[in-house]
Amino acid sequence: MAQISADPPPSSDTQKNILSTVISSIFDVRVLGVLGQIAFIVLVVLGFRAIFANFGDNVEKLGEAQFICRDGRFDYRCAYDFMENEAGFDISDPPLTYVNTNSYWYALYLGFLNTLRVGVLGVIFTTILGTLAGIARLSTNWLISKIALAYVEIIRNTPVVIQLFIIYFVIILSLPKVDDALQVFNLPIFLSNRGLAMAWPQLMSSSAVWIAFLVLGAIQFQVTWIYLARQEERTGKPTNQWGWGIFGFVVIAIIGWIVATNVADTEAMLTPKSSLIREVDGISKVVVTKSGTNHISEVPLLPEDQLAEATLNVCVLRDSKSEPNLTRQLRSQKVPYKVIRKATPDKATTDLLDGKCTVFAASKSILAGELATIESPTSYRLLSVDEQPVVWSVPRLEGFNLAGGLSLSPELFALLIGLIIFYGGGLAEVVRAGILSVSKGQTEAARALGLNEAQRLNLIVLPQALKVIIPPLISTYLSLIKDTSLGLAVGFPDMYLISRTTMNQSGRALQMMIVIMAFYLLISLVFSLILNWYNSKITMVER
Amino acid sequence: MATTLNPNESLKDEQRFKRRKINWNYFLQDNITGSTGLTVWIVFMTIVNLWFSVRQLGAAPGRTIVVLAVWAALILMVVAGEMFGIRSRVSEWLKNNLLTSVSNALVTLFLMLLLTMAFTSFWHYAVTTATWTVAESSIDFRSAQAEAGVEIGASWGVIWGSRKLLLTGLLEPQYNGRVITSAILIGVLWLLTSITNRDRFAENNGVQILKNITNIGWLISPFALYILLAGIAYEGPFINFSTLIRWEIVVLAIFGLLYFFNVLQLTPLNIAIWVLAWPLAYVIWRFIGQNGWYPPINVDQWGGLLLTIIFAIFVNLASFPVGILLALGRRADVQGIPWWIIWPVTLILTTILLYTNTFGNCLGTIPALCENTNLWATSRNNIERGIALWPLIIPLLAYLFQRMYNGNMVQAASVVFIEFVRGVPLITLLFLAIVMAPFFLPVDGSGSFKKVFAVMIGYTIFSAAYMAELIRGGLQAIPRGQYEAADALGMNALQKYRFIILPQALRILIPALAGSVIGTFKSSSLVSLIGLFDFVGIGRAVFTNDQWLGLKTEVYLFLFIAYFLVSSIVSLYSRRIEESTGLGIR
Repeated sequence: MAQISADPPPSSDTQKNILSTVISSIFDVRVLGVLGQIAFIVLVVLGFRAIFANFGDNVEKLGEAQFICRDGRFDYRCAYDFMENEAGFDISDPPLTYVNTNSYWYALYLGFLNTLRVGVLGVIFTTILGTLAGIARLSTNWLISKIALAYVEIIRNTPVVIQLFIIYFVIILSLPKVDDALQVFNLPIFLSNRGLAMAWPQLMSSSAVWIAFLVLGAIQFQVTWIYLARQEERTGKPTNQWGWGIFGFVVIAIIGWIVATNVADTEAMLTPKSSLIREVDGISKVVVTKSGTNHISEVPLLPEDQLAEATLNVCVLRDSKSEPNLTRQLRSQKVPYKVIRKATPDKATTDLLDGKCTVFAASKSILAGELATIESPTSYRLLSVDEQPVVWSVPRLEGFNLAGGLSLSPELFALLIGLIIFYGGGLAEVVRAGILSVSKGQTEAARALGLNEAQRLNLIVLPQALKVIIPPLISTYLSLIKDTSLGLAVGFPDMYLISRTTMNQSGRALQMMIVIMAFYLLISLVFSLILNWYNSKITMVER
Repeated sequence: MATTLNPNESLKDEQRFKRRKINWNYFLQDNITGSTGLTVWIVFMTIVNLWFSVRQLGAAPGRTIVVLAVWAALILMVVAGEMFGIRSRVSEWLKNNLLTSVSNALVTLFLMLLLTMAFTSFWHYAVTTATWTVAESSIDFRSAQAEAGVEIGASWGVIWGSRKLLLTGLLEPQYNGRVITSAILIGVLWLLTSITNRDRFAENNGVQILKNITNIGWLISPFALYILLAGIAYEGPFINFSTLIRWEIVVLAIFGLLYFFNVLQLTPLNIAIWVLAWPLAYVIWRFIGQNGWYPPINVDQWGGLLLTIIFAIFVNLASFPVGILLALGRRADVQGIPWWIIWPVTLILTTILLYTNTFGNCLGTIPALCENTNLWATSRNNIERGIALWPLIIPLLAYLFQRMYNGNMVQAASVVFIEFVRGVPLITLLFLAIVMAPFFLPVDGSGSFKKVFAVMIGYTIFSAAYMAELIRGGLQAIPRGQYEAADALGMNALQKYRFIILPQALRILIPALAGSVIGTFKSSSLVSLIGLFDFVGIGRAVFTNDQWLGLKTEVYLFLFIAYFLVSSIVSLYSRRIEESTGLGIR
């Protein structure tokens, strides 16, 4: 201390210098910037504190009940405990089985799947429609290009909400009822006010074998391609790479089909021995089995009472794979049949014993178990059923619904169509700009080199156009995925609608808002990371 | 010029009647047998056309025969031109645009059939069988007609019948005058602006004065519109001096700052305006309020087209400056907070939050939450134990902040804000505004919001984030030399952006901004999904009205066309502005 005081006091000159240095360094832009930023952080923290203080007061006032745990404690960590309660609301279009006694978590999970379903389908079909419309805008046919122009202008200049309303309320809901559904071009595609139903391949238990063969076929294709390409290089004679590759693939696929059909032995049916073949006015009642030999069928053009007599009643379990498998074979044999769906094997067996159904079709393990419970097992037979790896499941009218095949609810259908049309219009402009961005000289140079149209598009134009197209394409995809929340407009139970229903029912606004925000932020983040990675891969090709 | 550019007009007479020799082998090869794909396509299109024509002949023979005949005539014209040299402009145009090849001709036929079918069925619904008067659109009339077996298409009377609802929603009719006054005010200002900005008045002093008055009018118009459409009421002393002086200081501080950074000059006019503007406005405001000239309207009654327009105008105007600030923030190149400040603070803070249960674990002022203060000990499962360790996020964030933004807080905050808003759907933000506002505002209700205002602010935040990205694009498009030149002239940041960068960037941005204006206008229809009665919401209410039950097609089509017209007009207008600013001509 003494030492310091012993020092001579700084002269007024140096004092002035220090002062001016301090002042000038305070007014230095960099220092000012840092100070400003620190002030900013402090302000933000204070702002959040004020908001949270309000929030605390409001929680006290609006409802502490939101944070009561199961054991009656009050703890904000119990905010999401209510999600394990019964949801209590119905979901019109669940992607998995759902009953309203399932938990809120499960309902939310279904909403997530629904959002994903619309998002992915929407992205795929938007790309197709947008590309087609973009190319149509550049068509040499005046009519095509003007129609594409009108489409783009009209769609881009009207709100997507009204488009959705028109598609759902005006068009889809005024389609004919399900029993005289519109059939598109006589194909197995049905449009009705219950939405879209169309034939769809359904994978059976032996499909894994067949898919393995398909993979083998693909490998074969690649190997053949490389081998023939090398041969072409070596000999200079052109080889038919496509032809041989596809030929080999088809051969392997057919072999795989035959193998899978014969290997599979999981499906069977249980039927009384007495009813296997019964004469109904000269027509054998038919059952198709794996051996497939002892049964004859004729097209029954019978009067109604006899038709009812001849109809084969088939009991199956709900959502089982046995149904499309057996019904396909019955259809191909032209047997009139009626499907009775049961929830449990016990109920189906009871029906079988009561004679309400002639046949109970299910997997072998289930049937063996059921056969053991029957009092007189000897009077019943267990027959193997022919089993293809993939069965073409066709929608059929049953009661007031179309069963089988792929069916999209009217809400999902409307939302999907609405989003595809709206974003297709935006994408058309992107694609058009991309194609136009490739200079004409490139096309002419390609022609001069003797490339054909397909080569020119694939090798010259598209790689250059993609660089222009991809960044706006990414933002289009992201907007589309976010706009699946418009399911609200048509009542499609996506993530957003289910969160809102949960919110209304449980009164937990804050918790659900956090869930919604976090979900959309996460999905945007993931998609933008993937797409930006793809973009960087594409643009890396640049010099 | 035009004649050489247009190939049809460049046809000389001798060319016009010259026969072209057609090599049929080449013709077949080009049009049909060139490749397998082409042949399959031709066969497919032929089958489709035959199938479609036969179906159409069955359904509407007259119309289909006419279409087929027209198509045949067009083909004949081209064939005549090619084979017999009877060319005209029309036949050349057809050859180049509609019937370039056989496949094109088949596609043209298909589209002609499809378009006539679509158009006639729409015409049948919208015009031929439509009714037009209000009386005819009532449910009694329609059900009587249906009983009598008369087919009625559109009942357009509903639009005129519900005009009041569609225009102003549930607003009480006594306020119609104020709405009309607002519309006239805006219309007059707009008209004056577009007239006074004509080039030929550039030298006319009278017009220039009018132009200045118009500009002042625009500045005042937000307040005037607020008074007209929301109204004000005031009770108490005429002038509250403390309020008056407090805000006068704020205004003068802004003025001083702008002067300090050389953006404004100290002219007598400027001083007069800045000093007098606030007291004058305050006095007028109080005067109107105390006299009760414009009693307050419950703004939640706003609806219909009025609400949609208020949304579009307010959100666009408000999000513009916010967007500029965010864009500048995102591009800000300021000195970051140095690491020797960040890390000590971060570590101290984290330690405090981890080891003391002071304010991290006891959210704000909720007393009930503070009963179980030891988060770790009272955790029921590992998830909760993980949550108890939340302060560890702070060093992670600090690391990311240091790594990605070099401690640049301005940039980091702008990016986080923009990306957060752009990452969630608009409808969630709007809903958030409605649901969360009561949670975060003071309990005593002093800050209680009308639903409309909450939605407006939510929408502005959303729009501003998108606007910021647009403007950032514009700022990036300005060549570096412009920034450097401004720096070289010794301009400060404010001057640089005010006088050099923004005028250029905004001119480039006109088309994008017009797109954004249209987008905001269109997207405002989303508010109908969260329970506001805007143009779409009130439209949906119209056809649930007993009298007009079930007329949804008419209402939706009307809305569709209305939105289309407004959007098209805005985009045409923006193209005119673009031309008048000389963009794209250069």
